This record gives sequence, C-alpha cells and structure tokens, in this order.
Amino acid sequence: MGFDWVFFTELIVGGLMSGVMYSLVAIGFVLIYKSSGIFNFAQGTMLLFAALTFVKLTEGGVNFWVALPVSMGTMVVFGILVERFMMRPLANQSLLSLFMATVGLAILIEGLAQYMWDSAIHGLQLADFLDLALLDPVNMTIFVVDYIEWLDILISKFDVFATIVAGTMILILAVFFQKTRTGMSLRAVSDDHLAAMAVGIPLSRVWALVWAVTGIIALIAGLLWAERVSVSFTLVEAVLKALPVILIGGLTSIPGAIVGGLIIGVGEKLGEIYLGDLIGVQGIETWFSYFIALVFLLFRPSGLFGLKTIERV
Amino acid sequence: MIYRETGTFITSYLEDRKLFPIPFDKWAMAVFMLFMIFVVPFIASDYWLAAHLIPILAYGTAALGLNLLTGMTGQLSLGTAGFMCFGAFFTFNIMLRSPEWMNLPLAMVLAGSVTGVIGIIFGLPSIRIKGFYLLVSTLAAQYFALWFFRSYPYFLNYATATVTLPDHHFDLFGIGETFDVDMASFEAKYLMSLGIVTALALFAKNLMRSATGRNFMAVRDMDIAASVIGIPVIRTKMLAFFVSCFYCGVGGALFCYAYLQVLGIRTFEMNRSFEILFMAIIGGLGSIAGSFYGTVLVYEFPILFSWAGDYLFKGAFDTAVVDNVAKITYGILIIALLIREPGGLAALWATAKQKLRTWPFPH
Amino acid sequence: MAAGNPILQIDNITLVFGGVTALNGISFDVAEGEICAVIGPNGAGKSSMLNVINGVYVPQEGRVVFKGQDCTRMRPRQIAQLGMARTFQNIGLFQGMTVLENILTGRCMKIRSTWLEQGLNIGRARREEVENRRAVEEVIEFLHLQGIRKTPVGKLPYGLQKRVELARALVAEPTMLLQDEPMTGMNLEEKKDMSCFALEINREYGTTIVLIEHDMSVVMDISDHVVVLDYGAKIGDGTPDEVKNNQDVIDAYLGVTH
Repeated sequence: MGFDWVFFTELIVGGLMSGVMYSLVAIGFVLIYKSSGIFNFAQGTMLLFAALTFVKLTEGGVNFWVALPVSMGTMVVFGILVERFMMRPLANQSLLSLFMATVGLAILIEGLAQYMWDSAIHGLQLADFLDLALLDPVNMTIFVVDYIEWLDILISKFDVFATIVAGTMILILAVFFQKTRTGMSLRAVSDDHLAAMAVGIPLSRVWALVWAVTGIIALIAGLLWAERVSVSFTLVEAVLKALPVILIGGLTSIPGAIVGGLIIGVGEKLGEIYLGDLIGVQGIETWFSYFIALVFLLFRPSGLFGLKTIERV
Repeated sequence: MIYRETGTFITSYLEDRKLFPIPFDKWAMAVFMLFMIFVVPFIASDYWLAAHLIPILAYGTAALGLNLLTGMTGQLSLGTAGFMCFGAFFTFNIMLRSPEWMNLPLAMVLAGSVTGVIGIIFGLPSIRIKGFYLLVSTLAAQYFALWFFRSYPYFLNYATATVTLPDHHFDLFGIGETFDVDMASFEAKYLMSLGIVTALALFAKNLMRSATGRNFMAVRDMDIAASVIGIPVIRTKMLAFFVSCFYCGVGGALFCYAYLQVLGIRTFEMNRSFEILFMAIIGGLGSIAGSFYGTVLVYEFPILFSWAGDYLFKGAFDTAVVDNVAKITYGILIIALLIREPGGLAALWATAKQKLRTWPFPH
Repeated sequence: MAAGNPILQIDNITLVFGGVTALNGISFDVAEGEICAVIGPNGAGKSSMLNVINGVYVPQEGRVVFKGQDCTRMRPRQIAQLGMARTFQNIGLFQGMTVLENILTGRCMKIRSTWLEQGLNIGRARREEVENRRAVEEVIEFLHLQGIRKTPVGKLPYGLQKRVELARALVAEPTMLLQDEPMTGMNLEEKKDMSCFALEINREYGTTIVLIEHDMSVVMDISDHVVVLDYGAKIGDGTPDEVKNNQDVIDAYLGVTH
C-alpha cells in the first residue's frame, strides 16, 4: 500500500484546525500570565461559565444578538469582581499562592455555574445560530452543511470559521498590546508591577481589564469549543489539553500560543495515527501532547518564544 | 501555665533537635496515639472507620507525599493521582502474582519503590524545566498512568472496570487464620493503615529535620545558591521525586485496599489530583502535620456541609443545590485562607500555639 | 598575611551574553592566603567574574585553574567540593528556613549518611547531626549570631542576613572564600564588623578571600591585592598602593575631570 497523501494532508489540515482551537484557549492563559505572572487555572471553568451563560440565555429564548453582548457583559463584571476580591488582596503574595487562589476560583465558578444554571450537559449548535443570525436564515446551509471540498480534501466549514475568528482575535490583541496606551501599561505591569505602580499605572484597573478581556476570550473560545465537545465539564478538561500548547509556545508569548497550538494539533493527529499504529495501542492522544511539549521544553526550557531569563546572582 | 518552655533546659544538641521540644506536646501526642490505637477501634462504628478515618489516612499519605515534593522541594505536581494509580495497581499485582509469604505492607513498600522510580523518570525534566513549566511533566504522568492501565488489562487481571480486592490479601503472617481474626475487618484495616501512616509520617519528619530535608528546602528556596554551596541539586530533586512518589504510591494502595476495597482506573482521574493538591495547600505547604489537617478539612467539608444542609433545612433543597453551594463556599474558603494565611492551617495552628505560649502576657 | 603561590589562576576569560561582552580577555592570579579585592564601576563585570570563578557561568574562552585543577567547565557543586565558598550580592539565603538551618546547609558536603539512615534517624545520621551542629555553633559564636539561631532568616534585617550568609559559607571550611559586595547597604559600624571578620577569617583560618567592594577605604585597608575591572576589561592589577597611583584606574574609576 502506497502512502496515502490525501489522507495525510487531511490529517495535517485537521490538526492545524484543532491547533487553532487550542491556541484560542491558550491566549487566555497567556494574557493573564503576561500581566500578573499567574498561571490561571480557572481558565477552563471560565470557559464553561461563559458558554453556559450564553446557552441558558438562548435556551430561554433570547435572541443571539442579545445573548452575545449580555454574556460578554457578564464576563466583564466577573473580571472586575475577580480583581477586586482576589487579585488585589493577594497582590504581594507568592506566585504559588496566586496559582492556588485561581484553583479556588475554579471551584467557586464551577459551583456557581452549576448553581445558577444547572449541571446538565447542553448541546450548542453554534453553526445553527450562525446561519440563523448571520448568513442564511432561510436555507441554513452555509455552516450546517459541514464540509467544503478542496483538492480532494474535506475541510469542515466550521473549522474555517473558527480559524478566522481566532486569527481576528489575535490580530486585535496584537494591535492592542503594541499600539495602545493601555496595552503598554499592561506590558509594564507584567515586567514589574511595583515599578509600574510607582510610575503611576493604575494597577487595579489594568488587572480588572485583563481579567475582563480574558473573560471575553473565554466566552468566544467556549462557544467555539462547545460546538465540538458540548457544554459540560468536558470543557474544563479540554482546557488542560491546551496546557502543553502554552508551555511549548512559552507562557509569555501570544504568537507562541499560536505556534504551540499548531504544533500540538498536528503532532497529536500524526502521533495518534502513525505512532499508535506502530506500537499497536489506541488512545495515546491522552498523553501524547504532553510528551511533545516535554521534548520541546527539554531543548527550550522557557518555550519557543518565552522570555529567556539569565540567572543573576 | 501548662504550655511553657520554661523549666525545660536544653543540655545537648541532640535534645535541641527533638521532635517535641515542649513536654506538653510530647505527652499530648502520646495520649493521642494511644487513643487512636487502643480506643478508637473499639468505640468507632464501621461507618466511622470506613467512611471517615480510613479514607483520611489514605488521602493523608498521598497529601504528605505531594507536600514533600511541592511544599518542601518546590516542584509543582498535578500527577498525584497518577502516581497513586501506579502504587495501587502494582500492589495488587504483587499480591496477586507472588507466593504465599508475600504480605500487604511489604507489597506496598515494593510497589511504592517502583512508583518512586517511575516518579524519577517523570521528574527528570525538572533538571531543565522550572516552575509552572514542570506541570507538563507531571500531567503527562497522570494521563500516562490512566492510559497505561487502560491499554494493558493484564494489570487488572483482565477484569472489566474494577476488581474486588480479595480478603485473603489482608492476612499478615497467617495471623488471621491461626487466631481466627478477621484481618479484612474495618478495625484491622484501620490499624494497618494507622501503622503505615504513622511510620511514614515519622520517617518524613526525621528526613525533614536532617540534611536531606535541608537540601530539599534549599533547592526550593534558591537552587542556584544551593548548587554553589555544594548541594547536589539534581540528585536532591530526583530523591524528592522518589520519596514523594513512594508516599503517593503507598497512599494509592491504601486508598484501594483499605478504603474502597475495589481497584479500578476511574478512582485515579485528574480530579483526585486536584483534591490532594488542595489538601496539601490548605493544610500548609511545607508542613507534615499540615498535610493531615488539610486532609481532614477537605475530606470532611462536603460531608459536613451536606449534613448541615439536611439538618438545617430538612431536605428543603435539592442535593445538587447543596453540592453546588458547598463548592462555592469551598472556593471562597480557599481564596480567603490564602489571603489571610498563605501558610495554611499549619501556620494558623502555629500562631495559635505561639499565642498560648505567651498567654496571658502577650508582650 | 604573606602572599604564597597562586591558588587561583584566571587565564584570558571572555564571557558573552547574546551580543554583550561582559568579560573580555581577563587574566589575573590570586595568591594563596591573600585578600584580593575586585573593584570597578557598576556594570564592569565584577559579579560575572565571580560567577565564572565558581562555575555559575561558563565562559566562552579562557581557563580558570583552582588549586592546580582546571575548573572552567566544572559545575558549581564540584568547585565547592574543591574548597570554594561564596556569598552573594543580593543575599542567597534560603528564605523559608531558620538561621540555624541555613548555616547547617553549609555543612552539606560533610554528610556521609544516606537519606534512609536520616529518615530512620539511626546511627551515623544522628551522630553527624550533632557533629555538624558543633561546627555550626563555632561559627555562630565567631560571628556573634547566638541570639537569632531559631529566627527565620526572612525576618532579619539586611546586615544580619549578610552575616548569616557569611556563616553559611564559613561553616564549609573553605580554602577560598568569594564575597560579592559583603558590605553594601551597611552602616559604618556593620562595615567595620564585616571588615574585621574578613581579616580574622583570613588570619585565623588562612582562607584566601576574593571580594568585590565599592567602599575604597575598606578595600585599601584590608586587601593585599587589588584587581580593577572596567567595561569587562582589566585596567589595573597590583597592591593597593600601585593601583591607587595607576593613571588608567584614576581616570576610569576614581574619576578625574576631563
């Protein structure tokens, strides 16, 4: 049997697409890490919370165009609350304490999400919504018909859409970081928050902003992910899958999150098919991404794009 | 006037490094242990042993193991349940596949050692990878363990999902048969767990007040300075992984043998790792006794909460609601505790003791 | 103390970080039993020099020979085992431990018992703890740290922390002691104490000392030999008097009006 190039290419394309999905989650992590040095463990539950809010609103009959901004607003309020009641009192404590606090936050949100909404598994046909809301309310064909064919390769339209959304978001964030005043103060805060405070950057406002933006990213990522894995606790686990992505890219780098996502996405697919065949066991994708990340980290301990620190004593 | 150092004069360096420098502490501990050994098995009901004391001992062992790695040596780990899984499965397989003379504690020690070696393998990246980046290695261990035992049913003796652990595994040196004692009773399991946990806690305490413990903490606080003064940083990290995973492995074995009485992969999902991480953090990272305080709190909190919910509101609320409120309260509790006292329960306890020592003249 | 044979030879060391040359072809010798001061303006590469000497940085070029052994590529721990100890510019104490525990870590190379023996607290492990404690108590007495044995180091004032760090280095019984700005940020009295300690260590134990210091009066008082660095290059090397009169040094360091 010859090498099946079409299959291989399809695999690569599929891998790249799921890589984009990983990157989306990873960006949220990177934002928080950049601005406060914390590894935000609650990212996964934030995704769940945001997606659940949206789902429950639409299930309650709220129009897509109302539900989206309302969910976004919820996440912004959430960001402000987190800053006020968690970040500010913990400002001068060790990174480990902060990490633990985000773990506590994760439990809190999980309880809250299930208390406010419920713990049932919700399906979310974002594709339906998109067709309804945007493009083709009559025939419902643009997103619901799943695949486009291109050079014998099938690509899911929804994946293409997700890629475009992710790309746009990354672009907006890049401009925001590099060009705006707020973006600049954000970078200053991430370098040294005491020094930033000393030159008059309103630390609490910057943090609140970061958490709010992260909340919005969580909403978008949550909605896109929910299309694949349904809105339930699996969303939280999906986020753990994004972990190797950020680590490969480097915790401080947004481009890193993208490249990392692509590497993991492709690597996972290839590993599952070819390596899985080779050793004759199924299901290695549960740990294969971590393995890829480890290999990368062994050569570049702070990730591909992470800040290299020279240890000074 | 009971809780004082006054009147205790330290006359040698050995005396100065005693476990309980204050006589009151020593006596309190002795009374507590005697009570746990000779009174508890007779007054506690099967429910108390099986649903409270035994699981706390099993969880506590794993929390202590994690604390040795994360709290003492500063290497963050999310793979605790994975290492417990290795320990539990290896214990079962050693018991299953060795001759008559094998007994459970020995099997646990052997399985723990193998787990320790696996821990070293997953700890190797810590030579180069630091901080949060190390999470990837321990998470790999977690998922690898689950995948491994799922892929090779040999280790579960080809059972589907779970194996019920046979009673004869609990017999020690034929005591059960000779004296017609039920070695698989909750009392016997409780005493076995208590013995193992006490030995392990004592070992950890000794380790931490000697050179190895100081090396651990030195690596945690500043690894460059540690290597400059001549501490073998890599070897110290590997030893920490070995010892920690040994404890987690034994904890996993206790968890299945003494508590659940069945062995299955689902016991060791990711959530378990977090649960144990909370125990270590809430109890106080870097404190051996703290691991157990944290275990008691984290384990009992949901039970108490749902009990209180039932008792106060007489079932007016759905159990799911109570569960979720418990989660919210619990999350707030963790954050509040970190804000008030990052050192956890152990630090709160130390402050209380300090106050007691100077009472009634705090200045 | 009279200078003997060279115990440490620095031979043409070049150290580059990315595009920045921190050290550029530096050579000098340190004689056995002397106090050698490395001075220079901020950013001259003094700390980098110490880091190269005890193996924290590996230079791109050149050799470091300590006690006749090439230790350019040795790990810090191996160099420590050859008898080199060191204190840090920004205090390298273990913040989560008490003063006593910190100083005890300095004895880590004398430990022979295994972790199993230590965990079981038997035989050799117990004996070693007592022996090491005795050695630590000697140093505690020497540096007057008796009152703070059980205090966590994080709670101590800066000057005392520096002294604890010195104790930790001394307790390893080094043949050579590197001190990175031992007196910075201290008041006059503390400085006097620290200089006395340096002299006493040098005389009592015959320990060779290499120190970085900014306070010129201290340097001129206590050192036998002064090396001057500027922008990663060596511009002066000799006795304090020679260096004081070296025109390059005066220009670069002590400052003249141009």
